[in-house]
Amino acid sequence: MAVEITRPGKTSLLLSTPVMPAAGTVGFGDNYRRLVDYEKLGAIVTNPVTIERWNPASGTRLVPLPGGILVHTGLPNPGLRRVIQRYRQTWRKIPIPVLLHLVGTGAPQVKQAAKMLDELDMIAGIELGLDDDIDEDEAFRLVSAAANSEKPLLVRLPFYEAQQLAPAVVEAGADALVACAAPRGTARDAHTGRLVSGRIYGPLVKPLALRIVGRLRRRVPEEIPIIGAGGIHSPLDARDYLEAGAVAVQVDTATWAQPKMLERIARDLGGWIATRRKDALLDEWHPDMSQTEAAQGRGQF
Amino acid sequence: MKDTQAYIERIRRVSRDYQRLELAVDKSLSSMHAGQAILARRIEKDYDIQHWNPYLRELWFPVDILNRNIIVVERPAAINYQPGQLLSLLGPIGKPFKFRRKLRNVLLIVYDSPPTSLLLMLPALLSKDASVTMVLMGASRDYDTEHLPKEIEIAHAEDDLSWQDMVMTLGWADQVFVAVGPGKELHNFADVMRLVRQRRNDVPANYIFGVFQRQLPCAVGACYVCMLRAKDGAKLQCLDGPAFDLTTLHLGN
Repeated sequence: MAVEITRPGKTSLLLSTPVMPAAGTVGFGDNYRRLVDYEKLGAIVTNPVTIERWNPASGTRLVPLPGGILVHTGLPNPGLRRVIQRYRQTWRKIPIPVLLHLVGTGAPQVKQAAKMLDELDMIAGIELGLDDDIDEDEAFRLVSAAANSEKPLLVRLPFYEAQQLAPAVVEAGADALVACAAPRGTARDAHTGRLVSGRIYGPLVKPLALRIVGRLRRRVPEEIPIIGAGGIHSPLDARDYLEAGAVAVQVDTATWAQPKMLERIARDLGGWIATRRKDALLDEWHPDMSQTEAAQGRGQF
Repeated sequence: MKDTQAYIERIRRVSRDYQRLELAVDKSLSSMHAGQAILARRIEKDYDIQHWNPYLRELWFPVDILNRNIIVVERPAAINYQPGQLLSLLGPIGKPFKFRRKLRNVLLIVYDSPPTSLLLMLPALLSKDASVTMVLMGASRDYDTEHLPKEIEIAHAEDDLSWQDMVMTLGWADQVFVAVGPGKELHNFADVMRLVRQRRNDVPANYIFGVFQRQLPCAVGACYVCMLRAKDGAKLQCLDGPAFDLTTLHLGN
């Protein structure tokens, strides 16, 4: 059951399952290989990468919220060249397509990065992340620069400006839209008493992002696939995105809270869960029940 | 690291503020070492999460490991746990503490945190006749130590962080482990280092270790929330820690 997640053409990208982790949630390579069966996923999206090295944010990076979290890491990464050096062999071993998330810092940098990525056969596509405060003209320039690449180009839209930017992004050559990046918010860190800004994750994001996906689906040409992202914490959440017009979904921080949920959603949407034997072990039915010894799963601790 | 289930087999109140949970765990967790931790969350009977508050798992450091795949954790008494309650555990997380080969005197400093991250080392140290001193600083001074082994010498620091016989204790210690609560941890580690440098001209490598207890979203090195700046590059609490030689870290922010 292959799913085409980019517009038809020579750079079209097909996935076996319409489920992938969102950028920034599973690292640059195989961090979750021991906890998640990658072969059940459609693709991997790497952590955000910039051309130059970015250092981690100072101060508070995590604020727990009721039913969610605020995260502000500063997108630390050693720069594209070093990321490629460190992870190219890892990417080669990953059995599913690897999409590199490129942070759109400027058109010349994006153009340079696209050129470097074109030389990597283990990278199946580029996901370009747009800044939250970007305007349509700059978005057009960045996407045009990335569209020079021979790789399929997915563009992740910022949460608040997604609908406004989408036409320019499509016109500039995006092969698919990812709707959308986690919204930005501000919360007080209980430990330091300071207000912290960052991205908000949690189930409450889903209804907000779902509405954006629905509206985008009506606004952009049908040939441009939309990948839904935001607040997905169950197979039903993911199916809501498909119903709203997305062809695939990205699961974000649910993977941190319950790693097997990513695989479970992929199994559900990928048609891996079909039936249950009467005497099946729980592990076989609930993949998120995890790797506990079978005997223990039956209550024989 | 594995994703496993466990259940609470027994609960014992050990002090006014703390209770100990005996967890029946997967055998992969029964060989954990001092310094390693688990990420835990309560789950329901059908292995689903019914609600997402709290959203992230809690970082639990075992304080003892018993026979038959039982590990013991210490949790605040104010939290209501029930025997038979199911848990989802990720672990083991992190690297074991590094001890010097000839370790006779160990100093444990706990600052604005319960000492739970340091307690699993106690049985092994005491069985080797090592002397252990624990200094409680800041809010840690409220921690009731009655249930800890009687062989441990306990000292309570003053408001200026000094304690009785501080110069002798620091000079005498072969190794120091400092645990601080999350939040102002770099600031608190810097306070302790300032104190140590005032009393010791030379702070050698592998002498004083800071134990980080930040909440870990992923624990597999993916999210970078726990990233630290060290002199030899970035370090992750979840993969490289939780203990870091404090002389190698940038404690500036």
